[in-house]
Amino acid sequence: MKKYLMVMMMLTAGGVMASDIEIKVNGMVCSMCAQGIEKKFSSEESVQKIDVNLDHKMVHLQTKNGQNIPDSTIKKLITEAGYQVVSIKRE
Amino acid sequence: MPSYSNNYVLYSLTHRWALGLEHWRFGKDDKREEMGFLKLNHLLYRYNGEDSQGNIYLHGGIGALKERSLYQAGIEGDWESRVLYTSLKHLEFHGGGLDRSMTQARLGISPKIAGYKELQTWFMVQGMVIRGVEDTLMITPMLRFFYHNVLWEVGSSTRGDWMLNLMVHY
Repeated sequence: MKKYLMVMMMLTAGGVMASDIEIKVNGMVCSMCAQGIEKKFSSEESVQKIDVNLDHKMVHLQTKNGQNIPDSTIKKLITEAGYQVVSIKRE
Repeated sequence: MPSYSNNYVLYSLTHRWALGLEHWRFGKDDKREEMGFLKLNHLLYRYNGEDSQGNIYLHGGIGALKERSLYQAGIEGDWESRVLYTSLKHLEFHGGGLDRSMTQARLGISPKIAGYKELQTWFMVQGMVIRGVEDTLMITPMLRFFYHNVLWEVGSSTRGDWMLNLMVHY
């Protein structure tokens, strides 16, 4: 029971805060690649801010308060844009 | 007037398929051949590396030249990092009495790595043969610039023909 309560509390806490997500992407070699990825996430309702760093091949997402974006959606959007997700880290 | 021109508008249905309209002109003055195509491009294979990307594209199109129908088919491969660019492209144009092919190779070097939303400059050289129009190799040194969603290239062939390419991604 204690375990369930802990899990529920964690889910609730996660649900009310914005989250920062760092995604490592392979294949991003030019500004048009970066723009394609930015465009994909810009139509995503839960995403507040997108930063693309070509030097580190990273995409940084910040979600809106109380919203989240699952890994499966991130992978789907980046694959649809033509690139490959290497890792997803959440803060 | 350069011995060829190529204009196209493509709409990406997905990252693998693009559909559009294309115009080619081979030759000049009274020997010019102008043709329009409904064009379909397919990304057959993409390699996504940590610092590079490689692609193989297939080109196809049906069109018309002075009310005669013709088709084009071809293959293109490229590999690029943020400092090196190479590509090789071959297109065949047949039908309606036309028998042409175009082979193009490109090599580019970027002296400075630019960040996203910064101007990126490339020094490039293009070699091209259009069978039946320019049978000897046309060498064109050029500059390529990337800025946001716009790519433009300016160059002049060793024979003095100017070249201008403009590509805008929406």
